[in-house]
Amino acid sequence: MVLKVFFPQCCNRADSGLMVGRWISGHDSAVVLAVIHYPFIPGQVKQYIQQMQAQSGVELSVLGSWSLPKEGQEGMESFLRDLSTIFPQERWLQINREIGKTGFTCQILDRDQNGRAVQRESKKKTEKADKANGEAGGDKEEEEEEEEEKVIFVHYEQRKVMQSQLHPVENGVSDPKTDPPSELRQVFQTVARSQPLFFLDRYDDGPLKSTHWQTEGREASIIVELLKQASVPLCLLIGWLLSIWTWICGIRLFSLYPLRFLSSKLSTCVQLSYRTEHMRTLSSMKPAVGHTQFMRKANILVSFLVDVALGMLLIWWLYRDNHITMLANTLVPAADHVAKELEQLLQWLMGAPAGLKMNRALDQVLGRFFLYHIHLWISYIHLMSPFIEGILWYGGLSACLGLTFALSLLSDMVALLTFHIYCFYVYGARLYCLKIYGLSSLWRLFRGKKWNVLRQRVDSCSYDVDQLFIGTLLFTILLFLLPTTALYYLVFTLLRLVVVLFQGVLHLSVDFINSFPLFAMGLRVCRSYRLAEGVKFRVLCEEPGTALHLLMEINPLKCSTVVQTYRTPTYSCYPKDSWAALVKKLFVGELIYPWRHKTTKTD
Amino acid sequence: MGPDSVPGPAVPWRKVLWERQPFPDNYVDQRFLEELRRNEGIRQYRYWAVVREAGFVGQQLSCVAIFITLWLYMEQGLLSPEKLLWTSLVCALLGYGLHQALTSQVESGCELRTRLADLQSATIFLSFTFGFSPVLKTLTESVSTDTVYAMSAVMLLAHLVSFPYAHPSPPGSLSINAALFASVCLASRLPGALHTFAMLSCALLVFALWPCLLQRLRENTPNQFTGLCVGVCIGGVGGLWTQSPGGAVLLALALGCVTLLCPLLLVRLQRHKDNIHGPWDEAEIHEDLSHFLQ
Repeated sequence: MVLKVFFPQCCNRADSGLMVGRWISGHDSAVVLAVIHYPFIPGQVKQYIQQMQAQSGVELSVLGSWSLPKEGQEGMESFLRDLSTIFPQERWLQINREIGKTGFTCQILDRDQNGRAVQRESKKKTEKADKANGEAGGDKEEEEEEEEEKVIFVHYEQRKVMQSQLHPVENGVSDPKTDPPSELRQVFQTVARSQPLFFLDRYDDGPLKSTHWQTEGREASIIVELLKQASVPLCLLIGWLLSIWTWICGIRLFSLYPLRFLSSKLSTCVQLSYRTEHMRTLSSMKPAVGHTQFMRKANILVSFLVDVALGMLLIWWLYRDNHITMLANTLVPAADHVAKELEQLLQWLMGAPAGLKMNRALDQVLGRFFLYHIHLWISYIHLMSPFIEGILWYGGLSACLGLTFALSLLSDMVALLTFHIYCFYVYGARLYCLKIYGLSSLWRLFRGKKWNVLRQRVDSCSYDVDQLFIGTLLFTILLFLLPTTALYYLVFTLLRLVVVLFQGVLHLSVDFINSFPLFAMGLRVCRSYRLAEGVKFRVLCEEPGTALHLLMEINPLKCSTVVQTYRTPTYSCYPKDSWAALVKKLFVGELIYPWRHKTTKTD
Repeated sequence: MGPDSVPGPAVPWRKVLWERQPFPDNYVDQRFLEELRRNEGIRQYRYWAVVREAGFVGQQLSCVAIFITLWLYMEQGLLSPEKLLWTSLVCALLGYGLHQALTSQVESGCELRTRLADLQSATIFLSFTFGFSPVLKTLTESVSTDTVYAMSAVMLLAHLVSFPYAHPSPPGSLSINAALFASVCLASRLPGALHTFAMLSCALLVFALWPCLLQRLRENTPNQFTGLCVGVCIGGVGGLWTQSPGGAVLLALALGCVTLLCPLLLVRLQRHKDNIHGPWDEAEIHEDLSHFLQ
């Protein structure tokens, strides 16, 4: 039988007294939380413990006695043993330490059926401690003799364990019968929940004096306190603003079909709705319940602040030295240049591009059609050119809401400016798709077969002469016109893919800013003990004649796990099809929308 | 006892393996292979009957040659499209009349409705061809001549190979489609849209409608059918002779091979046929199972 005692490091040099803590049921271990010093009145101690139990919800009890005799103090042995009668327990630990020695000795008094205290000796152990994760808390070895009990002291740093959160985080109440939490988890939970126990410091004038990590004085930070005070009115303000904004968005006028469709396509509107959700999460009046909610709120807040800071940086750069005018002056000539390049491309296609056999008549028709479109587009851009600077100026202001807004606005503007490329792509793709479909069907007719829709297979079929005749004519026509259409389709698809790629990059970066858990990463870097994956043990003392002492150090979470666990769920933008499916769609002529947006899920 | 020792006559050998006999497993008696039958389903071909049937193949070959001759004439401008159109129309009407005359002897029915359906088909053909002929004319403009000739040749060959010689009346899809594809390729090389239209009408006549008439003739008047085949072959060779003597000679040789040489080979090689049948063949179900389908 091995008994594990989790002993806080701050109590290593505490004066003699009573140890208060919790027995962890089922695992034969005890967590020492604080030491209450002599002199004390047992009745007050019991009252204090009951009070703390009610406040914290942890099953506190007196574990045993701790004695570190100073010079001149002797003869406490019998006194200490008598204490066990005052505080009736199943087991009573008597831990002794002498100045100058590093090891402790521990005596365990058990109550057997007669109620008499039976003493057991502790034995030394010679094992190496190794890393442990999650479930196991230490080494358990079989004994040679059943009756002798071994004690291991596991020292822990109380402040770190109290603030740390063991991963994977268990949210909600887990059924203790089916899935009992592990020993380590129980240790962490005990220390974390015993906060009221640590409020009593040495400057208090109460009847009891105790030693724990906050004995030297309660830690508090003025900034944190100020923020806490200021957060309440701030939340109220934000909540009120949000309610006005939601009311505006909910006006009937905006839920007409064209506006709704447009707002679902424009990424600025999507980002706006997304940020509204975030603000709603932040401005809720209830404090965060549980570690996950707190982390999510913190991540949202930090990423929002970073976003706004980057946006302000962008604004500062944009509005000085007349950058906006320069941008506006280059935009219209750039659009003109693109249109001219497109016209040249079409002229080249209307000739004999790369020596390919194009059907002249169809070539001319398609080429002229697209040229007319470009002409319309250029007129439109020239019409808009006086307003471009104004648009850019006001659009740049939107960056004060965050860099993500500026990027989404840029993406939307690119989409609007290249709308003609999108139109060309759709025309070319539809024509090509129709042609491919017709060709495949007529090829089946050529061979005397037909597609059986019911059985989803190709069957033979006897056609009439006129069906065969017309089918063959159409097949010949489509076949010879295929190179022309295919070339136009190829050119416009490539252009469209370039635009889509650029927009994809913008969306990915917006997504990244939205979802990256900056707060969690900062915590992992600066205070790595707060996100714990597990623990590791180091041997402190292996003197013969004393118990084994181990130091429990917290194993921080890996960075990749941090990102994975705390990523804010976003409308993540990722490719919809695999490469093979994409190529197949391109070959057949289906319209491709390669990026898929997930709708946000909030839990 | 070894395999060569003679058993006693008291126990005759039976051709069974499930019973232990005093004979070895590979013993055979004098009744070995008495169930063997040689060349059971062989047919006795008579030379001139085969020649008569092969004449049909030669006839189809000559049809293709006539078509190509007409195309050559049109390409060289020696034949005007209007003349061809009128000739085709007259031939079509004559052929239709003949077809109807031969049909009405066999079956009776609603003649008016069939006539209307035929008229409808004809209207569809003509309007489609006329409507598409400008498009068809420009189809192969950018394709080189050699490619066009090669494609047409391959397609016509496919037509000849997949032609349903046994029963030409519902025309096989692949054969007629290949022939039409070849004719579109060739017709698009002609100088004008009307030429294209005329050529395509002629192609329709030769490849789609002529076999139907042939089927009727073969069924009803076999003797005249043979004479017709010979006439078409001579017409094909003669027509090609005016355009290219070398081609005509080649055609004559091909016809001779197909109609005279190949049947000779078939009849001669029959005697080398040596098929054996016996109880070891796979069972074939000859029973009429239609009484199961009630």
